[in-house]
Amino acid sequence: MTARPPGGGPRSLGASLLDDVLAETLDPAYAEAAEARTARGPATGGRRRRGAVLVALTMVVAGVLAAVTYDQAAARAQGRQEIRAALVDDIRTESDASDELAAELEELRAEVTRARDELLANSTTGQQALDELAAAEAGAAALPVEGPGLLVTLANAGSDADDDPVGGDDEGDIRGRVRDGDLQLVVNALWAAGAEAISINGQRLGPTSAIRFAGEAVLVDFRPVTNPYEVSAIGDPETLSSGFLSSPEVGSLALIEETYGLRFDFSREEQLTLPAASTPELRAAQPVPAEPDVPPSDPATGD
Amino acid sequence: MIPILGLVAGVLLGLLLDPTVPLWLQPYLPIAVVAALDAVFGGFRARLDGIFDAKVFTISFVSNVVVAALIVFLGDQLGVGAQLSTAVVVVLGIRIFGNAAAIRRHVFRA
Repeated sequence: MTARPPGGGPRSLGASLLDDVLAETLDPAYAEAAEARTARGPATGGRRRRGAVLVALTMVVAGVLAAVTYDQAAARAQGRQEIRAALVDDIRTESDASDELAAELEELRAEVTRARDELLANSTTGQQALDELAAAEAGAAALPVEGPGLLVTLANAGSDADDDPVGGDDEGDIRGRVRDGDLQLVVNALWAAGAEAISINGQRLGPTSAIRFAGEAVLVDFRPVTNPYEVSAIGDPETLSSGFLSSPEVGSLALIEETYGLRFDFSREEQLTLPAASTPELRAAQPVPAEPDVPPSDPATGD
Repeated sequence: MIPILGLVAGVLLGLLLDPTVPLWLQPYLPIAVVAALDAVFGGFRARLDGIFDAKVFTISFVSNVVVAALIVFLGDQLGVGAQLSTAVVVVLGIRIFGNAAAIRRHVFRA
């Protein structure tokens, strides 16, 4: 058993390793050397000088070690910064390139459409195909639309007056939030009343668009839309509003509004502009039957 | 007094000379510094306790640094480098804190 250092011995004899580590923080060799020194007598001049030189040398080495380690750590941190900056620059450059390519894609697509229309207009089957295409595109919501219509706004219930503005949940009662079912009611009622095109918060609804509720957000076509929800419908304002207001869906919505405090407004608009829906994938193509006086046309299918 | 001067001289020397550390040695430098710190604190406490010995100090310094670096190197070879490094740092940290507390007791009588 080593001699007890003056700073305090182990807390209990035969204790665990952790106790030893915690208690004996001073190297026991110091105590032993001290005992040896008292037995021998105080150090003479030569021994003392040598001791001082040794200590000084050791401290110099410690200083060098510390300085070198600090230098190395600082250099590495700087290296990381530079790498990060370079990566950010790379990301920016590639993003710009990708944006340019997307713009080019739009231009080329427009050019292709123009060329196709010109070519097809020269023959009767071509013209027929073009008409079918126009009707199909209108139905698939592939083109932006402008016109008068109806604007229906749904919003979450406003927070109560006694809600804690700092710590409280500023979303209010969970039942006062607009859900996908409410939006679906509105949209169905609008379609039934004769709307020609509908969009929610700038997301155009196509024939395969889904309005879903995922977590806390409403997703239209897998893109989130936030409160307040503005549903724009293009059509004849008179028939739209009368058809919409007399539909049973709106009746249940009014009930919901009264019960849970949802905000539900609508107004007639003179001019609404709805963007095109995102283009669906091209899944099938077949050539138009060739006419004797015109070379075979390009496949005329939706883009 | 001499040890402090030695430390300052060492730091200045290291910053001035800026020696390039060989690549294989670089991961062990931080551990070496912590081990050196432990030896220095131990020496300072021994001095305050009145049992300081130059030979013990030098040997404890060198052996601390070498053994700590060796343990971490062994850990790297065996694949437990990070864990062993953590263990070494924990133990050295405990010792440093213990010595620092004793020093504080001496200096402030508190």
